[in-house]
Amino acid sequence: MKQKPRVAVFDFADCEGCELEIADLEEEVLDLIEIVDIVSFREVMKDHSDDYDIAIVEGSIMRPMDEKRLRSIRNHAKILIALGACATMGGVNKIRNQWMPEDVKKEVYGTADLKGNELFDVFQTKALNEVVPVDYYIYGCPIDRDEFKSVITAIALGKKPEIPRYPVCVECKKNENICQFELGSFCLGPITRAGCKAICPTHNSPCEGCRGLIKKADTECVKEVLDRYKLSYEDIRRRCTMYNYGRKECSYDE
Amino acid sequence: MKQQVKTITKKDFSTFVNTLIKDGTYEVIGVQAKGKRFAFDTLSSAGDLRLDYDVTILPPKKYFLPQYEMLLKFSLQKPFEGKETLLDAPRIIIGVHPYDLIALEQTDRHYLDQQQDNFYKKRRENTLLIGVDIQSVSERSFAASMNTNTTDTGFDLLLTDIGANYAVTIGTEKGEKILKKYATVKDATSTDLNKIKTARNTVLKKYKQKVKIDKKDWSSLLVANYDHAIWEERADVCMECSSCTMVCPTCFCYDVKEDVSLNLKQGNRIRTWDGCMLKDFTKVGSGEVFRDEVKERYRHRFFRKGNYLPERYGFVACVGCGRCGIACLPDIADPCNLINELAHFNSESDTGKYFIKEDNEVLEKGIIHLPRSATIKKVTKCNELDSLFEIELDDKKPLGHKPGQFVEVSLYGYGEAPFGISTPPGNTPVFEIMVRQVGNVTKKLCSLQPGDKVGIRGPLGNGFDMKTLEGKTLLFTSGGTGMVPMRSLINHVLNPKERNKFKDIIILYGAKRPKEITFMDDVDRWKKIHDVQCELTVDKCEPSECWGGCTGLITTLFPKIQADKLDSKNTIAVVIGPPVMYKFVIKCLQTLGIPDDNIYVSLERRMKCGVAKCGHCQINGVYVCKEGPVFNYGQLKQLPEAL
Repeated sequence: MKQKPRVAVFDFADCEGCELEIADLEEEVLDLIEIVDIVSFREVMKDHSDDYDIAIVEGSIMRPMDEKRLRSIRNHAKILIALGACATMGGVNKIRNQWMPEDVKKEVYGTADLKGNELFDVFQTKALNEVVPVDYYIYGCPIDRDEFKSVITAIALGKKPEIPRYPVCVECKKNENICQFELGSFCLGPITRAGCKAICPTHNSPCEGCRGLIKKADTECVKEVLDRYKLSYEDIRRRCTMYNYGRKECSYDE
Repeated sequence: MKQQVKTITKKDFSTFVNTLIKDGTYEVIGVQAKGKRFAFDTLSSAGDLRLDYDVTILPPKKYFLPQYEMLLKFSLQKPFEGKETLLDAPRIIIGVHPYDLIALEQTDRHYLDQQQDNFYKKRRENTLLIGVDIQSVSERSFAASMNTNTTDTGFDLLLTDIGANYAVTIGTEKGEKILKKYATVKDATSTDLNKIKTARNTVLKKYKQKVKIDKKDWSSLLVANYDHAIWEERADVCMECSSCTMVCPTCFCYDVKEDVSLNLKQGNRIRTWDGCMLKDFTKVGSGEVFRDEVKERYRHRFFRKGNYLPERYGFVACVGCGRCGIACLPDIADPCNLINELAHFNSESDTGKYFIKEDNEVLEKGIIHLPRSATIKKVTKCNELDSLFEIELDDKKPLGHKPGQFVEVSLYGYGEAPFGISTPPGNTPVFEIMVRQVGNVTKKLCSLQPGDKVGIRGPLGNGFDMKTLEGKTLLFTSGGTGMVPMRSLINHVLNPKERNKFKDIIILYGAKRPKEITFMDDVDRWKKIHDVQCELTVDKCEPSECWGGCTGLITTLFPKIQADKLDSKNTIAVVIGPPVMYKFVIKCLQTLGIPDDNIYVSLERRMKCGVAKCGHCQINGVYVCKEGPVFNYGQLKQLPEAL
């Protein structure tokens, strides 16, 4: 029998929620380990091996020591998968990029002497692909378990994973939700990549754009909608800060 | 036929509904409140019914073409095993408004008239529709202008609120039976019948939205304004979210996806709603997007409603429900609004025609999703990019194709892709296709070995009408992989049994690079035949490549045509190649004096279903997978989206 690919799961600056989603596959974990060997996954197991084919990496890169570790992971792995908003695009960790790293440190740690301590040696937050090449992206905060499964099975079958390039509205409409705008709320669904099954608006919470923008916030159509709903560019800018700070729209082919 | 009308007290109607629910024979579905809007959902009590609703968020189409629907269950472990599955129980849907009933009748034409869709058909047969006359008019509805505010057909039973009672119009025997079995009704009196009229007339006055143009005139209005600036102006503020098509009762295009279990043992082939406003809608394996600009997609949606489907089926595919108007954030989707705007610019020049009527209708009933099992017999590498696959149908029945037709090759877990057939027709289950690695299906195909199984649907498409080629000089021009279907045609006319039906044959063939030339053996053979002129060129040739032939684009071959062979009026030209090639080659053909009606082309589009259902391959109002891929240029040139 062909040897199963060896998979390792790693994390950087994150909440580990996306890894938890993998752990939450529950009995389907048995299906997963039928097609891959999991050799490292700190959140759920003690064993660790540096011999792996596929690295699944959660979290964003905040410090030189992170960068070094990520490069080493990249060197070990044939395939690198970015897992979740922090890894794919920087996510909430990029909110910090509004300020200079030194100012942030001062705000949080005051006058404490952090010199020479590499744990506190932070730079502006980066997504994984700002440091190393990334082969596959699993978007979301947290990721969608079904999409995780479809990406893994696609890789196992040698297919290109099908990640939607249309907005959340498509899935939201299929769920027969009342539009958040109709409810007087303000939602990023129309400009955010689908694939989450519109989970937030389906549970009556507007989209925060955690899977990345597929349209710039300053395109004509967005302006038109903001005008129509008496919102300002400032409203959308602030909403986009949560997950998409400093990020342009995803390219069509990303 | 005069329809019977009964009456039922509102209390008895509630009892009727509750009895149906308790009885359990049917899943009972009804209109219910969802927040401040309404939706069709499974009913647990008659008390939840809201027959006074204005419009539901989604139309009842979701019960016939669900958002996500399993077409096939397949195994990835066994060689080739796929099964169609349909598990839905019989249903009764209560509270469907006339415009939605009419939309379903329209959908029937598309899914039941030809090559019936089994899933849709089964659901339609299994479902009883209890309609209700509109009581509250949605803010955005213009059903009165579309004459869809009332209907005499499309329902099993139709309710009208006439005060203390509902009038029940009986539409079908099925409806009559269920009423007899579960309800207490009385015959309607003439007073009751008058009350129905009064109720309908009262509602008629409530419509705020009105279309200024009669729906029979939408088509010519649109045609006259095909190039109007309005398409671009509005597309500029379009979010490209396709919400308009998702909520539309007459939008029935779909996509098909593979869903594989995590252990890679089995999977499902899933059909899901797709929208023509989305960029990927027209994207083919090689990456080309055929309706790339938002403007083109935005226009397509309106033309489909007001021109393409009316030309095809005879109805305007908009029922005035107003759902798209509610759903569209920049409010550019509402047909009422757009048509009224265009009405200001009504011009006289409605000469365009964006539809080609097919002459020979192929009637084929039954399964259209399930592929036939077939075995790969031989794989030959043609060049660096292409491999030739010899495939045999496992049922050993002849494929029975015409030159120019194609098959959908299915790989469970990977999907389906269309391939032109490169072998001439014959009484054999064996045929050849050429595969170039561009997408998931082609990549996987190229890893397969003789003995491996694939699924085949087809032959599909119209193919060449050989009668029109008879007695003519034939000029075949192909570029790149266009040679695949062309080879089928050339070898067919060169077949000794066929050869005397045609005059001289000229073959022009261009490839990008020497290493991309396919079927070199055939080319060498053709060159040796005395009444065949075969010319070959490559666009470019690196010094390292061994190439003694002609270099230059395909158009450089035209001066080489031996003029004495060419009686232009008696020549049929066939052109197959990449999209960019057509314009230039056709110009050359016109220079040679070949009339447009003597030119045939074969086009590539995203042919997902292959049976004119899913909508992806449309060029204006034409389904390439069914009315094409072979087109007469004289007809095709009227389609602006074609070349």
